Amino acid sequence: MIKVLQKYKKRIDTHLLTITFFIIFLGLVTLSGSNLDTSNIIVNQVVNIFVGLIIFTILVFTNPRILFSYAPALFLITIFLLILVHFFGVESNGARRWLAFGFFNLQPSELMKITLPLMIAWLYQQYQNKITLWLHFTAIILISIPVYLVLLQPDLGTSIMIALSGFLIIFLAGISWSLILSSIFVAILSSPLIWINLHAYQKNRIINMLDPFVDPLGTGYHTIQSMIAIGSGGAFGKGWGEGSQTNLNFLPEANTDFIFAVYSEEFGFFGVVIIFALFLLLIFRIFILANNMQSTFSKLLTVSLGVSIFSAIFVNIAMISGLVPIVGLPLPFMSYGGTSMVVSLASIGIIMSLNNHKTLIAN
Amino acid sequence: MDNYRFKYFFKKRIQILFGFLIILLFIPLLKIFYLQIIQFDRFTALSKNNSIKIIPIPPKRGVIYDRNNVILADNKLVHYLEIDRAFFSDLPEIKVRLKNKLNIDINVDVENKKISYLYETAVPISFSLTDKQIANFVANQYLFPKLRIKQRFIRDYPQGKSSAHLIGFINRINDKDIKFLEKENLVNRYLGSTHIGKSGIEKFYENLIHGSPGFKEIEVDAKQNVIRTLQEKKPIPGKAINLTIDYRLQKIAEKAFGEKKGALVAIDPKNSEVLAYVSQPTFNPALFTNGISHAAWANLNDKNSRTMLDRTVAGVYPPGSTLKPFVALAALTNDIRKPPFSIFDIGYFTMPRSSKVFRDWKRGGHGTVDIIKAIAVSCDTFFYGLGLELGIPNLNKVLDDFNFGKKTGIDIGGEKSGLIANKAWKKKKFNESWYAGETAITAIGQGFTLVTPLQLANATAKLANPSLSIKPHLLLSIDRIKQDKEEVKQDKQRYSDKNLNWIKAGMVNVTKEGGTAAFLGKKSNYQMASKTGTAQLFGLKIDEEYNEDTLPDNLKDHALFITYAPANDPKIVIAVIVENGGHGGSVAGPIAKKVLDAYLKNKKL
Repeated sequence: MIKVLQKYKKRIDTHLLTITFFIIFLGLVTLSGSNLDTSNIIVNQVVNIFVGLIIFTILVFTNPRILFSYAPALFLITIFLLILVHFFGVESNGARRWLAFGFFNLQPSELMKITLPLMIAWLYQQYQNKITLWLHFTAIILISIPVYLVLLQPDLGTSIMIALSGFLIIFLAGISWSLILSSIFVAILSSPLIWINLHAYQKNRIINMLDPFVDPLGTGYHTIQSMIAIGSGGAFGKGWGEGSQTNLNFLPEANTDFIFAVYSEEFGFFGVVIIFALFLLLIFRIFILANNMQSTFSKLLTVSLGVSIFSAIFVNIAMISGLVPIVGLPLPFMSYGGTSMVVSLASIGIIMSLNNHKTLIAN
Repeated sequence: MDNYRFKYFFKKRIQILFGFLIILLFIPLLKIFYLQIIQFDRFTALSKNNSIKIIPIPPKRGVIYDRNNVILADNKLVHYLEIDRAFFSDLPEIKVRLKNKLNIDINVDVENKKISYLYETAVPISFSLTDKQIANFVANQYLFPKLRIKQRFIRDYPQGKSSAHLIGFINRINDKDIKFLEKENLVNRYLGSTHIGKSGIEKFYENLIHGSPGFKEIEVDAKQNVIRTLQEKKPIPGKAINLTIDYRLQKIAEKAFGEKKGALVAIDPKNSEVLAYVSQPTFNPALFTNGISHAAWANLNDKNSRTMLDRTVAGVYPPGSTLKPFVALAALTNDIRKPPFSIFDIGYFTMPRSSKVFRDWKRGGHGTVDIIKAIAVSCDTFFYGLGLELGIPNLNKVLDDFNFGKKTGIDIGGEKSGLIANKAWKKKKFNESWYAGETAITAIGQGFTLVTPLQLANATAKLANPSLSIKPHLLLSIDRIKQDKEEVKQDKQRYSDKNLNWIKAGMVNVTKEGGTAAFLGKKSNYQMASKTGTAQLFGLKIDEEYNEDTLPDNLKDHALFITYAPANDPKIVIAVIVENGGHGGSVAGPIAKKVLDAYLKNKKL
C-alpha cells in the first residue's frame, strides 16, 4: 500500500497538484457559503471531484504513447459524436449540445477540448521534420471541422475555446510571425461577416456587454447583477456566506457559471488577487513542465491543455466582470458541475502523464 | 527543425505566450479593481437597492364624530382577495372555480385587462369577504395558489346615505391630486396611501384626518419574498375630529325632507356652531371608495335631481320674502317706515309717475299695515314702496352687513357667494340700466338677489344675536381638544335694540294668528321668530294667474323658511329651502319646526 502511494507520489507533480487542490478547495468554500439549498450541491460536487480524481489517476498511470497512437482515432470518434449531436442531440434552450446515454449526458464539445489538441499535437509530432505551410494548412482544416460543428449547435463560447486550443499549437509549432499577423488581419476583415451570421441572442449579448444598463431587466440582467455582486464586495468582501446578491437570489447561476462573482462578493478584491495569483501559478507551473519535456507532442499538448484551462478561466472571469458577453462557460475547478471538473482534472492528469514519461515518446 | 532547435524555439514562444497571458489576465483584474475599489459605493448602493426595500405603511384615517360622538366616518378592517398582475388573464377560469367551490364572487370585470394596469403588482379582485368566506378560503388556499388573502382598512360610513354632503367621500388619488400634493410638498405624507378626501369634511380637513405614514425597511430576495424586517416606524394615525353637528337633528331633518329636494342649515346663534347641515337628495359616499362606475356617476349627476350638488353652500336661490326682515331693518335704520307709520293696502302698488302696477300676493290686500304686520303677513305692497324710498345702495349696505353676497367662510369646500345686485353689476352683466321697478321687487326678495341656505341661516343668526361675531363653522374639536373660535372683525353693532325688537315682533307674529305660518305656532310650547318665503321661478305676466296644479314641478316656486327660537333667548337658528315646494310656510316651515322641537325638547326654556 505504502509502495503504491510512493509510486503514485513519484508520478505526480506535487506543485501542480497542490495549486489545483487549492483552487478546488476555494471553489468548495464558496459553494458551501451560500445559504441556498446547498447540502446536495456540496455532496454532488465532492462526488464530481472524486470522479475527476479517478480519471486523473487513470491518466497519470497511462502511458502517453497510448494517447499518442490513439490520437487520430480519438479525434475521429469525437467528430463522429459531434455529428451525432447534430442529429440526435438533446435540445434545450434552442441549442443541441448533449447526447443522452440514459444514465448520463455527454457533451462531445467538451471532449473535443482535449482530443483536438491531441490530434494537432500528434500531427506536428508526426511531421516534425518537414513542417511546411501545407502542414499548417492541414492543421487549420482539422481545427475548422470541430469548430464548425460546435458552432452549429450553436455554442459560440466552446467553439472559440476549441479553435484557440488548436491555433495555439500551430503558433507553438513554429508558424512564422508574418503568417500570424496576416491571419489576424484577415480575421479583423472578416469580423463583419461573422456579425451578420450571429444569432440574435448572440448579438444581444454583445450589445449588452457594451452597455448592460440599456436593458437592465432583460438581456443585461445577468451582467448587471454579476457586476453589482463583484462591485459591492469592495476590498475585503462581505464575508463568507454573507453575499446578499447570492443568498437573495439576485445573482443567476450563482453555483455554476457565476461562482466567481459569489467569490468576489464575499472575499473582495483581496480574495480576487489571491485567486488570480493561484491561476497564474497554475499556468506557470504547466509551462515549466512543458519546457522540460522532451518530445514535441508532449510539449505542444501540455501547453495547449494549459492554455485551454487558462482560456476558460479568462473568458469566465471576463464575462462575469462584464468585459465580454455572457457565453455560458463554467470556471474550471470552481464551478459546480461534473463535466467541467472531470475535463479539467483529466487535462491535469494528461499533463502529469506526459511529464512522467518525458522521454518515452521522444524520437 | 531539429529537436534541439525546436526546444529553443519553443521556449521562446512559451515565454512570449506567458507574457501575453499575464497581460491578458490583468485586463479583468483591472476591471474588478475598478468595480470593487473605485466604484464600490455605487455598487454597494445598487446592491442595497436590490435587496432592501422601504415599504411605506399608510396611516389610519381619523374618525369623524358628531358633537355627541356619533360616528360619521370610520375605518373598518376588511379581508379581500388579490391576484398578481401577471396572472390576471387566468381570472375567468378562477372565477368559475371560486364561485362553485367557495361561493365567493369576483367583483372586477375579469375580461377587462386594463383593470390590472391600475395596480403596481397585485390586483384586488374580491372585497369585503364574510367571516365564513375567509375561513373557507383559508382552508382551501391550496386550490388557488395564485390568489392571496389580504386585509386592509377601508373607509366606512355607518350612516349610509345620511349626511353625505357634509361628511364627503374619499376616492383614489388621481393625477390632479398628485399635482396638488407636489405643489404643496405633501407627497411624502401620501406614500403608500391610495385614497384622498374629495369632498365635504373628508376633503376640507384632509390635513388633520390623513395622518403620516410609517415605514418598514425589509430585505427581499430576487423574487421579492420578504426575508426579514430591518426596521420599522409606526405610522401616525390621522386625528379624530368632532363636528359641531348634532346628528340627531340631521336625521330628523332628512326624514322630514323625505323625497323633497332642498337644504336645511341649523346654527347655534351664540357661537355659530353649525348644528345641522342637510342637503337633499343625497348619495352613498361608500360608492366612491372603490371607484364609482360610470352609470352610477351619471345617475348622481342627473340634471333634474343634481344629487352631487351640496345645496347647503353651493345651491343659490332667490330668497323670496325671507329677505323682508333684513329689508325692514334697513328701512328702520334709515329712519323710514318707523311705527306707527302704516299704509292701507288695497292689493297692489302703483309705481309713482307711472301706470305700472305691482301686485301683492294676496288679492284685495291686507288693509292697514305697519312694519310689524308687514313682516307677519308678508305684505308685498308695503315693501314695494319701502324699497323705492330706501334705494338700492342703502339696502345693499345692510344686506352686506348680514353677509349676503359673499362667502361666510365656513370650513367646507364649494361655497358660493350668492348675489347682491346693483346698478354697476347690471351694467356689466347685461349692459342695461337699472329700472326703478327692479328696486321694488328686490325689496320683496325677488329681483336678482341670490342666497345660499347657509347665508340665510347665518344672517338670521345675526338677527337673533346681533353681537355674534364668529363665522359659521363645523369643527368642534380635534382629538377631543376644543378649538378656538375664529372671530370675524366687524363694526360695532349699528342696529338699535328698538329697531331690532320691531323686526322680532314681526317675525314672532308670523306664527301667530293672522301670520303666514300661523298653524306652526298653534301647537308650540315656545315662541319662535320666523319668516316664510316663496321664491318665484316662473315669471308671471301681468294679470296672469299662478296655478300650482298645472305648472311642471321644476318650475314650481321654491319654499323657504327662516326661524330662530326661543324668540327671547335664541338657542337655534334654522334656514330651510325646499326646491319647487310651493308655499314656504306650509312646506318648509314644518321641516324646521320638527328640528326645533327636537333640539329644544331637552333644553331649559
